[in-house]
Amino acid sequence: SKSVSPHALCSFFFLSSWLPQTVPFRGSHWQTSLLELRASLPTRAQPKKKKKVDVKREQAQKDRMKKKIKKLEKAAPEMIPIEDFIPPLKYSESNRVRSLPPLSFEETERRVLLMKKWCLFKQKQDKAEQKAIQTLVEAQQEALKELRLESEELYQAAIRRDEGLFPFERDGPNYTPPLPGYDPPEGKCVDITKVYTQ
Amino acid sequence: MAAPVAPPMRSPQGTMGARRKDGGAHRAVHCGLRGSIMAAPTQRTAGWGRWLCTAAAPRPWRLFGAMCLLRLPRITQPLEKEEEEMAALMGQIELEKSHYSDHEIRKLQEEEQLRRRKESTYDDDEAPGKTVIMAQDLEDKWEQKLLQFEAAPRITDADKNNNRTSLNRKLDSNLMLLVKQKIGNQELWLLPQVEWQPGETLRSTAERAMATFLGDHIQAKILGNAPYGIYKYKFPRAIRTEDNMGAKVFFFKAFLQSSDLSQAELKEDYLWVTKDELGDYLKSEYLKKVNRFLLDL
Repeated sequence: SKSVSPHALCSFFFLSSWLPQTVPFRGSHWQTSLLELRASLPTRAQPKKKKKVDVKREQAQKDRMKKKIKKLEKAAPEMIPIEDFIPPLKYSESNRVRSLPPLSFEETERRVLLMKKWCLFKQKQDKAEQKAIQTLVEAQQEALKELRLESEELYQAAIRRDEGLFPFERDGPNYTPPLPGYDPPEGKCVDITKVYTQ
Repeated sequence: MAAPVAPPMRSPQGTMGARRKDGGAHRAVHCGLRGSIMAAPTQRTAGWGRWLCTAAAPRPWRLFGAMCLLRLPRITQPLEKEEEEMAALMGQIELEKSHYSDHEIRKLQEEEQLRRRKESTYDDDEAPGKTVIMAQDLEDKWEQKLLQFEAAPRITDADKNNNRTSLNRKLDSNLMLLVKQKIGNQELWLLPQVEWQPGETLRSTAERAMATFLGDHIQAKILGNAPYGIYKYKFPRAIRTEDNMGAKVFFFKAFLQSSDLSQAELKEDYLWVTKDELGDYLKSEYLKKVNRFLLDL
């Protein structure tokens, strides 16, 4: 055991002075063995509290960062500019303005009367369409009523929703019918639209 | 069977009014009483009579499913006079409100240069190396290219020959299929129809009708499970029995998807007609009912 009292050792050597060799002094009273080097010198002068402080400090830092991130996220995202609504500056130059003779009185009169005729035309067209749709619906209701009189199961099968009907896609009519054996010219289309991310 | 429902009050002209299905008590409820409430009590008593007599009364109406196959228009209809005038006016207003485009400015500048060169004698050291192609030349070139292109004609050969069996006729309106069928003793032009068999829905009857006349490989989109119209008629007194009074034909609508039917036609007597030409072939009562569910195009 190393628990020899140091004073006892010292006094023993001095008292018995029959040892001719000199005794190396120890570095400090904490060094218990003479032959040991400074391997186990005390490094605990201060108690080791740095770990807790680090952890706390790091935690506080992380929380602050998260708060900042949350604030940034809560702020409203920047609006994506609509390219179509922003006319380029080069089109507001004065040399671009068209120079045409002013409209005569007859021309304005003709335009106003034409607009009124158009209004009436469209109204009649719309009324006719609505009437046609109404007859369609009435005819279908009548058919369903008759079917119900016949058999309930057929009626139930008829009013069931048709899942395969929608989405219904169809290419609209063109001005001329398709030309048989037409070979369209080859080309490449490069898309240069700007894509914005939020 | 569900509880007896009140029959439709409005009766179609010509055919007999809606009769109740009384297997037992034959009550001739003639709908000269059109839309009157007096029909109701008699109907109800007929119903009671029926309940008291037999449990399952045989339905005296035979059911048919018919398919109205439409070929949708391939080109736009010609504009009316007001529409054309309005289109011209809109174009004019747009032109007045617009600014010059790059091409137009280039054209104006080049015209200006030409004029200056003609008026005062400039040396031609500006011209070479600079503007070899002028805007006007470009426009001429484009014009030439347009004139060289020939589009397919809007009025086809089938239109000119009035070949009613071809699908290429009248590309701007709906065409529907009519077939000649034998009903009873007569051969009539009808929308293709086939009798309903128990165990299938009416929609599948209509599909079967289409398949019998046009073959299996027809791509048609049927618009929904419900019928669009109905035509009821009674058999002539000779064949009419208690169990077999008449027939109800339920019409379904479908759009033709595939454009060529080369391998399809099985029967020879078929026609593709527009709504206006239906009157040449169909009987008046039938035509009236069919016209109700066809949109005018």
